[in-house]
Amino acid sequence: MSAPTTTVSHHEQAGESSIWVSLPWILAAIGLIGCVIGYTSNPKQLGYSYLTAFMFFLSIGLGSLFLVLIHHIFDAGWGVPIRRYLENVACLLPYMGLLFIPLGFWAENLYPWMTADPHTDHALSVKSAMFNKKSFFIVSAIVFAIWGLLSHKLRYWSVRQDETGGSDCTHAMRRWAAPGIYLFAFSLTAGAIFWMKSLQHQWFSTMYGVYYFAGSVWITLATTYGAALILKKTNQVPMLQRLQFYHLGTLLLAFTIFYSYIHFSQYFIIWNAAMPEETFWYVLREKGTWVYVCWALILGHFVVPFLTLLRIDVKLKWAVMVPVICWVWMIHYVDMQFNIMPLYHPNGISPSLSDLSAMLFIGGTLAVIFLRNFRAHSPFPLKDPRMGEAIKH
Amino acid sequence: MSVSAEQTFSTTTPKELERKPLVLNQRSLGWISDKICSITEGPAPKWWWYAFIPSIMVMTLCFTMIGYLISTGVGVWGLNQPVAWGWAIVNFVFWIGIGHAGTLISAILFLLRQKWRTSINRAAEAMTIFAVMCAGIFPMIHVGRIWYAWWLFPIPNANSIWPQFRSPLLWDVFAVSTYFTVSLLFWYMGLIPDLATIRDRLRLQAVGLTEPLGRFINKAKQYVYGFFSLGWTGSNRHWSNYEKAYLLLAGLSTPLVLSVHSIVSFDFAVSQVPGWHTTIFPPYFVAGAIFSGFGMVLTLLIPLRTLCGLEDVITTRHIELMCKVTLATGSIVGYAYGMEFFIAWYGGNPYELYAFKNRAFGPYWWSYWIMVSCNVISPQLFWSKWCRTTPWFVFIVSIFVNIGMWFERFVIVITSLHRDYLPSSWGYYSPSWVDVLTFVGTFGLFMTLFLLFIRFLPLCAISEIKGVTPQADPHHPLGGAKGGQH
Repeated sequence: MSAPTTTVSHHEQAGESSIWVSLPWILAAIGLIGCVIGYTSNPKQLGYSYLTAFMFFLSIGLGSLFLVLIHHIFDAGWGVPIRRYLENVACLLPYMGLLFIPLGFWAENLYPWMTADPHTDHALSVKSAMFNKKSFFIVSAIVFAIWGLLSHKLRYWSVRQDETGGSDCTHAMRRWAAPGIYLFAFSLTAGAIFWMKSLQHQWFSTMYGVYYFAGSVWITLATTYGAALILKKTNQVPMLQRLQFYHLGTLLLAFTIFYSYIHFSQYFIIWNAAMPEETFWYVLREKGTWVYVCWALILGHFVVPFLTLLRIDVKLKWAVMVPVICWVWMIHYVDMQFNIMPLYHPNGISPSLSDLSAMLFIGGTLAVIFLRNFRAHSPFPLKDPRMGEAIKH
Repeated sequence: MSVSAEQTFSTTTPKELERKPLVLNQRSLGWISDKICSITEGPAPKWWWYAFIPSIMVMTLCFTMIGYLISTGVGVWGLNQPVAWGWAIVNFVFWIGIGHAGTLISAILFLLRQKWRTSINRAAEAMTIFAVMCAGIFPMIHVGRIWYAWWLFPIPNANSIWPQFRSPLLWDVFAVSTYFTVSLLFWYMGLIPDLATIRDRLRLQAVGLTEPLGRFINKAKQYVYGFFSLGWTGSNRHWSNYEKAYLLLAGLSTPLVLSVHSIVSFDFAVSQVPGWHTTIFPPYFVAGAIFSGFGMVLTLLIPLRTLCGLEDVITTRHIELMCKVTLATGSIVGYAYGMEFFIAWYGGNPYELYAFKNRAFGPYWWSYWIMVSCNVISPQLFWSKWCRTTPWFVFIVSIFVNIGMWFERFVIVITSLHRDYLPSSWGYYSPSWVDVLTFVGTFGLFMTLFLLFIRFLPLCAISEIKGVTPQADPHHPLGGAKGGQH
């Protein structure tokens, strides 16, 4: 039987001079300056760059929320030490609502359907009940409200359990997670359709919500692995063990396969039926240098991580996993570019300074908020009933 | 800068959150062997005969109908224009779907280190094999001139006619046959240590036999079980090779589980038929197959655990976990139904939208709402712990799942075909009595094979269950030889 309590030594971040505190501020400031320059030189490019960065970081927030929801629904034990980190990342989602405001202002320039005439556009007129400015902003507000409610309620009960240790907190988290998973599925799909798919409103695919979900969980697992590594190395969450790293690595492999399966299926069904109202989306992405991006996705999103992660032992080798994490970040960004940028750069991929600026600004800002939240509570759940199970292996 | 701190965290688990063991009542390793092997030893119980004889009769009905079909032609079915794919394809997809849970439980749950699979994997794998056999009948007899069915295989014939490799129906031939072969191998692989257990028990039982007939039967059984246990002695080397082979087969089976139903979904999705051509079909079909497979596992194992006295091995925890998978996959299927309808509207294609409106409110509206009620609404009952842990209630819901998943395939096939682009060719499809009896007959075939499996092979994986008992864990208070009662 496990001992009732265990005492661990761990390091707490302290002092305003810590690199972890100042670096995000610096990055956000550099990013902001870059965005201002980008806005004065080419506001439309900045708009698309900002949307790409926004959808990139949104993936990580949504993926984290999903992992927390699933943890509670399936009554998992192994993920307890890393759950507080995930809860804090998920709690960035309502702040992303604030970062969405610039997109709201630029929306007319980003989404062609906002300025198109429904009377002359069949694809728009059939869904005009949904594709109008009012619906766009109302749905956007609703999805951020859902994410804010779920992420904060789950963290609230988790933090409260640190004090009481009661099983009622576990039950409360489960009660939130149960309807939460449905709300999550609905809101993620709505966000992916409104903010990304609607860039080409004529196109449709029932798979698209699943496609964005698969990529989101993929990058979240890689990010979580990296974060776990930092938390372990800095001794902030010392109870992280081989079990957690192994499961995160295995899930990363599983989602490498799942994403590839989803994207291949979508492409294959559209290619095989060869209906012009569907194929145009991929035809645009096979023009110019975008075709190389297609190949980069095939190799980078599937072949390379699949072959790398296939071996059992590599999931515990930092020398392999750290480059894999960097690779996943890069490829997921390429995937977001593949979805968004062909509309603005139809002849091929065209990296710009605005891309980097938007990434630094949004990433830096979110990192500042994350660190503040993360330092406000224990870096791991103190009295979760499943902690003993998570560390006994 | 960082400072060092000490933090105390709790590692206690409140009573109400403690996980129940996978084998109840501290059953010993010997008890597990005795209990599971006893089903194959001694005279068959009465309930087995009560189930077996009707199953044989129903199976005979199936083959009689097939004989009638072959001798007369596919006109004996209710097919018409435009519904050229009728119940045969519906039944094919239904049975293939049921065939999914076995290899899923065996392969994917094994790779994910889910120990609870051990009590149910053997029966689920057997179910897979028998379900795929039932499924394979339908496309074969659907070709009309069954004596040309071998043309499906890429064998050059006298007329130099080669199969149409661009057709997903041909992909099915390869996907299903590969899946069947690997599932059979995987099932057999797992059986080897248990077959050797039965062989060794027969040797012990032979000592007490005096009648010549009894000794002959015992000897014959020893020979058969010994032959199929491939000289298994349980040595360290045998176990080492076995574990490696099992892991490799699990790795190979996993993509097959996903590929088979994805390819079945391509039968529909790669076409341009409204209601069929939708990109979410592959994962939706896979989720639906897992859903229906778990439904059938529950239908079979809930009565069996009582009839065979295996409540301590197939526990309510196992039932509860299977209910959770059923709930998860049922909800995914519900998401897919919703997305199909939504995108039919969103896409602006009037034919697509009509096909979906027609599903819900057309002549076959009843089938659509049966499908939604059984597949989306009924599994939601499993949010309640009482519903998940009350076997008779789970059994009823599992029947609804089976019914709902058959209707899902009915909705996809029939409602998409019966009204095509030409209103002048619209028709209403009704099955003939041959359609109905053939389908009913396949249940006889399935049950006959399953009952024979129960009678002659271990229903649960003896060696694997022993590995997940508390006694098998040397660190457990009951670990090693310290606890347990015979």
